[in-house]
Amino acid sequence: MTATKACDSASTAPESSANDNIQPFYLLHKASTPRNSGRKSAAARTIDLSPSKPSSSTTTTNPQFDPHKAFQSVWSRIDSAIKDVLRDVNTNVFNEIHSWVRQSFLAVTSSGVPTFAEATKSFPILNHATSKQLFTGLVLIKNMEFVDDLLTFEELGLFLKSHACHVANLSSLDLSTKNGVGGCLRSLLRQFLTVTLDAVDISILASWYREYGNPNSPVIIIVEDMERCSRSVLSDFILMLSEWVVKIPMILIMGVTTLDAPKTVLPSHVLQQLCPSKFTLGSPAERMDAVVEAALVRWCSGFSIGHKVAVFLRNYFLNHDGTLASFIRALKIACAQHFSIEPLSSVLGLLAEEDSEDERVLALSSGMAAQIDSNLASCLTELKRSQKCWGIVVMCLYKAGKYSKVQLLDLLCEALDPDIYKSIASDTRTRSGKGFEISSSSNHSMAQQYLRKDGPISQAIEKVRDLPASPLSQLLKSWENLTVDILEINVKVKELQPMIKLEEGKSLKQDFTDLAKRHTSRTAANIKESKTINEKAATLLANLVRDFMRPIECIPFHEIACFKDVEKLQSALTGDPRRRIQVDLLEFHEFLRCKCCSRSCNIPLQSMPDTSIMYTLAQEHGDLINLHDWFQSFKTIVMNPSSKCRRKGKQSSFPKKRKETNEHENKSESSLQARLCRAVTELQITGLIRMPSKRRPDFVQRVAFGL
Amino acid sequence: MGKEESPQIERRSTRHSSATISKNEAGTKSNEPLPPTVNDLFYGEEEKPISLDDVVSSFPGRRIQIIELMRVLGPVNCPMVPLFIYGDSSTGKTSITLQIFRHLNRPFVYSSCLTCYSPRILFESILNQLLLHRKSMANSYLSAKRCERPSDFVNFLREALISITSNLQGNSGKSGSKKLDRRASGNMIYLIFDNLERVREWDKSSIMLPFLLNLYDILKMPEVGLIFISNTSPDTYYSSMGYAEPTPVYFPDYKEDDLRQIFVKNQENKKLYSSFLDVVLKPFYRITRRVDELSTAFSQLYKKYCEPLSDLGVVPNEEMKRRLFSNLQPHIAPSMNEIFKVSSQPSTDIGATKEAKQKSSSKKSGLEVTDQLDLHMSTSAKYLLISAFLASRNPATLDASLFDSTGGSDSRKRKRKPSEKTSEQKEAAEQELLMKGPGTFPLERLLAIFQCITSVAEGSLEEEEQGSDGLRVQVGDNSLMSDVLLQLSSLCNANFIVKGVSCPLEGSTRYRSTICEDMALKVARSLKFPLSKYLYRR
Amino acid sequence: MGREKPAERALLLLRSRLCDPSFVFNSFSDSSDSNYSKLKFIISSSVTEACNNSILLLGPRGSGKVAVLELVIRDLLLEYPDMITVIKLSGLLHSDDNCAFKEIARQLCMEHQLLFSKMASFDDNAQFMIAMLRECGLAHKTIIFVLDEFDLFAQGKQRLLYSLLDATQSVTSQAVVIGATCRLDADQLLEKRVRSRFSHRKLLFLPPTKEDWQRLLEHILLLPTESTLPQDYAVEFNAKLQNILADNRFKGIINTCMNIDSTVNHLLKFLFRAVSNMDLATGFLSLENFKAALSNIQRQPKLECIKDCSVLELYVLVCMRRLEIKEQNSYNFNSIMKEYKSVHDSCQTSDYYAQNVCLWAFEHLLQRELISFNDNRGNNQSIEFRPVKLLVSSHELHQGLKSYRSCPAILHKLLAG
Repeated sequence: MTATKACDSASTAPESSANDNIQPFYLLHKASTPRNSGRKSAAARTIDLSPSKPSSSTTTTNPQFDPHKAFQSVWSRIDSAIKDVLRDVNTNVFNEIHSWVRQSFLAVTSSGVPTFAEATKSFPILNHATSKQLFTGLVLIKNMEFVDDLLTFEELGLFLKSHACHVANLSSLDLSTKNGVGGCLRSLLRQFLTVTLDAVDISILASWYREYGNPNSPVIIIVEDMERCSRSVLSDFILMLSEWVVKIPMILIMGVTTLDAPKTVLPSHVLQQLCPSKFTLGSPAERMDAVVEAALVRWCSGFSIGHKVAVFLRNYFLNHDGTLASFIRALKIACAQHFSIEPLSSVLGLLAEEDSEDERVLALSSGMAAQIDSNLASCLTELKRSQKCWGIVVMCLYKAGKYSKVQLLDLLCEALDPDIYKSIASDTRTRSGKGFEISSSSNHSMAQQYLRKDGPISQAIEKVRDLPASPLSQLLKSWENLTVDILEINVKVKELQPMIKLEEGKSLKQDFTDLAKRHTSRTAANIKESKTINEKAATLLANLVRDFMRPIECIPFHEIACFKDVEKLQSALTGDPRRRIQVDLLEFHEFLRCKCCSRSCNIPLQSMPDTSIMYTLAQEHGDLINLHDWFQSFKTIVMNPSSKCRRKGKQSSFPKKRKETNEHENKSESSLQARLCRAVTELQITGLIRMPSKRRPDFVQRVAFGL
Repeated sequence: MGKEESPQIERRSTRHSSATISKNEAGTKSNEPLPPTVNDLFYGEEEKPISLDDVVSSFPGRRIQIIELMRVLGPVNCPMVPLFIYGDSSTGKTSITLQIFRHLNRPFVYSSCLTCYSPRILFESILNQLLLHRKSMANSYLSAKRCERPSDFVNFLREALISITSNLQGNSGKSGSKKLDRRASGNMIYLIFDNLERVREWDKSSIMLPFLLNLYDILKMPEVGLIFISNTSPDTYYSSMGYAEPTPVYFPDYKEDDLRQIFVKNQENKKLYSSFLDVVLKPFYRITRRVDELSTAFSQLYKKYCEPLSDLGVVPNEEMKRRLFSNLQPHIAPSMNEIFKVSSQPSTDIGATKEAKQKSSSKKSGLEVTDQLDLHMSTSAKYLLISAFLASRNPATLDASLFDSTGGSDSRKRKRKPSEKTSEQKEAAEQELLMKGPGTFPLERLLAIFQCITSVAEGSLEEEEQGSDGLRVQVGDNSLMSDVLLQLSSLCNANFIVKGVSCPLEGSTRYRSTICEDMALKVARSLKFPLSKYLYRR
Repeated sequence: MGREKPAERALLLLRSRLCDPSFVFNSFSDSSDSNYSKLKFIISSSVTEACNNSILLLGPRGSGKVAVLELVIRDLLLEYPDMITVIKLSGLLHSDDNCAFKEIARQLCMEHQLLFSKMASFDDNAQFMIAMLRECGLAHKTIIFVLDEFDLFAQGKQRLLYSLLDATQSVTSQAVVIGATCRLDADQLLEKRVRSRFSHRKLLFLPPTKEDWQRLLEHILLLPTESTLPQDYAVEFNAKLQNILADNRFKGIINTCMNIDSTVNHLLKFLFRAVSNMDLATGFLSLENFKAALSNIQRQPKLECIKDCSVLELYVLVCMRRLEIKEQNSYNFNSIMKEYKSVHDSCQTSDYYAQNVCLWAFEHLLQRELISFNDNRGNNQSIEFRPVKLLVSSHELHQGLKSYRSCPAILHKLLAG
């Protein structure tokens, strides 16, 4: 399209500015794929390149058009949305925990608060045998990875703090064998009374709590990752706490991945001291749904992703690492790349800022009258509108699909699939002669035949078809709420409402009659109309899918808002460094464009850098490489003087080669050996070979094979 | 209230506003730290220390031990040889000792080697108590003396003891005239070391333990009494150099009727509870005899027992007992096998229901993964976990036959041959598995197996994906391979795979998978991976 | 009231006697060939002749080495006032050379009213000691170094011993180094340079004979007739005591007590319990007191532990024992469970519990230290795989089962094999 062509030259500068702030992920990718020579040399020269190329080619100085800023604004919106959502996911768990904390605090203090003297004495207060029990909340992390939950526990701590508790967060680093019980006590005291001592014992905590602590607020100790703690230290710690729990109302909260973790980690007599209760954090899947909804489905910021990208992201989440963090990171990379590649995407910056339609049109027309013909503006409005519809439909589907455990991510993938829509649309166009309302059955079949069987969408619709009355009415209500601001959908939903009401009434009446009769009556009498209701609802959903769920890629100008380049994203995410290193060692001439060794990469030449020579030679050996043979072959390669490549070597940019060519005559054995050692060391550092073992001192072992 | 109290209270009231005077004694005491006095060496500031009968009655089945202790401690001011109290945990050693001191009302210094987890902490806490020093914000939570070496400790201890005993003599002389009941304390001071068994783990140089046990001979101060309290019998304290054996007092575990008395003692409805005990005590008594364990078990059972009752004040008659028993009956056996799991199971109802659901689902072995494996793992992590499981279960020699590219049916017969051939070898292998548990394996082997099973599974996955939807962009095994090391590390973090100590750069670390079989099966089921086909059955 | 007061005072007296070794060992001091007189002769000679000397007191723990030494020193201090300085070190406290020298310097400073600086370095303290030795030598003062737990000083670099014994070589100094240890081969522990400087003079402390015990008993237990105690009470007390001592049953008790351990300390322990068992109401020692004391003293901890075990724990123990009978060189919890299952299958026992319950019992046994892991390196291997071993002999196990109340008969059968 014209726009892309126009701003092709401008594309490098924004890119540079864009990947300043996503350096770590973006790098491998940049170093690998060749774009233009200047960057290439930069890539080859150093490993941690930050391509701060002077953006000479940037023409526009309009702040609104700086893609960097645009990216900032858009991403900030997405980010904030995600953050809120995640917080909301946890709130009810937090409330649950807090109420539990309260009641267990009452239970602890029920036996009577000890006086100051008692509390600070060294000997225990005598009570019933169970009074040494330590109330423990086991917070189930439903994820093998711990990354997502670090934040969660921080927030939990803050939450409890805000509810007048003394909170300290311990991590497995504090509870390691290295610094022992003293270590975690030390960090406890550091967090509670903000002093660092070298000799710490828990009596200090007691006296502090009695002197300065709030007498009616518990002391809460959060151990973030219980499995990772060292067993002995943790058990000692718990025993110590349980000795003092009468004097200091302490409550323990531990994050565990599986419920039987405590049994495996702690010995029995320690378990005896715990009086546990369980809380479950939101599983990654539902969090993911929430995030997807916030970031992608409801069009909060102009940015959206294409079908392939969505699929890739989904697979990445499912297959590689199931952490939300990585998903969000991937999203961010996608966003950044989009803004770096797509020149017009900077419009989204504006799109993101303005909300109401007309202002946006004004802003656009005013802002970009310079470059763009004004019909783009209308296209954008169209784009935005259809996106809204699309999002709403997807949400409706999701609400329906929830009853049959449909993940929003899968739903999204299917909903973004353009060709499904195309097929449906074409089909409707053919039979558009008939009016909008087609008989439900045929319509249903028609809509369904393009959707994948047991694909999430059709699942959702099927679910609607056999949904009992009360959830159905809830579903409809939720639909109504969703569709408030799109009229034509909303009315259709409203049409269904009264029937539901009537249905409700029936069911309510039947509730008074006894169960068995109710069943019979339901099956007998009103199976029919309930069926019809469900049918209608399903039809409505199908129609919505057909009419309003236009995937973004079927809309003109979607390139502005939609990021589709999977390969870039993939290579940026799954960098696969080991493979990368090997490839670069073999195809080094991709980077240093020296004429001498460009033509042939697989037969080693004298002019090649030593490391790649060595590695190329290593290819010939098995998994064990005899150092002596290696050195000999290396020597033969380096020694044989081919005048051509020496001449080439002169203007080659590689420093070592120049040196070599200069004192080529007095190149001594020793210098060769030095170079060999250096090369071997580099290979070892890059993790391609392993140093000789004791048994076979003259052999190195290859660690990495193949690509 | 000790006579030392009253002047302080005057002082305080003079110091503070009149509000504090109007404020009642307990209030001020609980709120404000008093400057520590000699009184802090006594059990408490009660006006009347409890009588010996109270002590005896409050500890059922401990009369003999109490008498014995009293005898060893002897009347006022008579010196004693070191005393060694031992017995299983929760047999009332500490409580009884403290109560006796409360009764005798003599000064003592208590320090638990559990709370004082290192020599230095122990020394300093003892010295703090003797020097009447309390850590607080004022002294920035530092202890009175900094002392790490036993030698310094002995010197400090001598000074402190001398000063304190003279102090005691002084005020016992003073108060002996006034309040005889209060200050019958004499001028002896007792050092109590609780949880002595912890000391054995402190230093492998084994100086600490002989030092403590010889402390009496080192100090040579007759007015100091040493009392050691330990979970383990004196014969477990062998050290390279011997020590003068202290005189032992043994606390045996509670007998059944003692337990009965203990449990009934603090119940509001004794009749009901005893009828409850008739049911539960005997079976549980066969498993454990510890008060704390039993009490946790009973507290939950008792709830169940009382469920049908409207008011808990009721005195049960025979047939009611029978009814209660009949509805408790089903719960006893499970809770006897659960008792220990209960201790780490959720007590909240959600959890309970959740558990139930899991059990049922695992019974019917339904296909939905969410119930099976309530833990999110990425696919590659799952494969990695499975391959680790295989690597640690299967003997390495069989890998070749198990994981050839075909991987499938013919590998079965190939692996059956050796197993049939040598049965005694099989025995040995079984024994070995029983002994060693899951075997260890190097990283390379893990990766190899991972390659194989992913390549196989990818194939199957591919076509079934093709069948269902063409959604997937290419997820070749290399893309599964890509960050396998990261996955491995996170698996190690989650304790599914434990890692032997070695240099990581060398790559010669050996790993071992700790997950149990059904967990692995769950994972495999969630991947639809035929684990059993690859598992080498002995 | 009546007897109460004198009885209590008598008890007080006896107990303070028992807790005061110097009193106890006084009884040996009079005889000419006793260690007391030998030691006293040696030290006093070296004090009077102003020469150096070094002695090693050998003997089992509790045979009164230090006590006798203290007696000697006390008497010498009376005989030769301000000619003797005593420096006491204990291997338990000062085995580290650095703090040993510090301690020496501290005590020297205290003796001579000098100012002791904590900050002084190792060399400062060493030089200070040498200087003091010379000074005292010039002033004809003897410094007596008492090194308790001598063998602990011999571990490490022995710099302290070397510098001390080296100082004793010089004519200027005037020091007596007395080591007390219960390791009879203590002088073999010394380095060559140290041993060459050590005068191999040793005093052996043998455990007392029967007669000595008898003498000790009377020496300790008989009340002084002329004292604050009422005359008649003391007399009556002594009379009662005498015919207890004469009693054969008492002799039997004493013999068993001696057979267990014939050192003085053990006797003292025994007497202490006996005395503290004394009934204050009557106010006299009785034979029962001694009997009780004996039963209090001689304990069989393992047996008690076995008696304390619950039935399930007994099952585990028996299963382990059976495994040992089967010559399974090493076994762990899993194999025990296997055995347990097989036992259960063979003869239907009433109490068969789930694995986790047995694991629980297993851990109890670990805590009771009736069993223990073979290797105490806590490798991250989970508990049920670590090999374990019994800490009780089969005989103890048999006895324990016999004395166990309501022990299931099946267990005996199983243990029999």
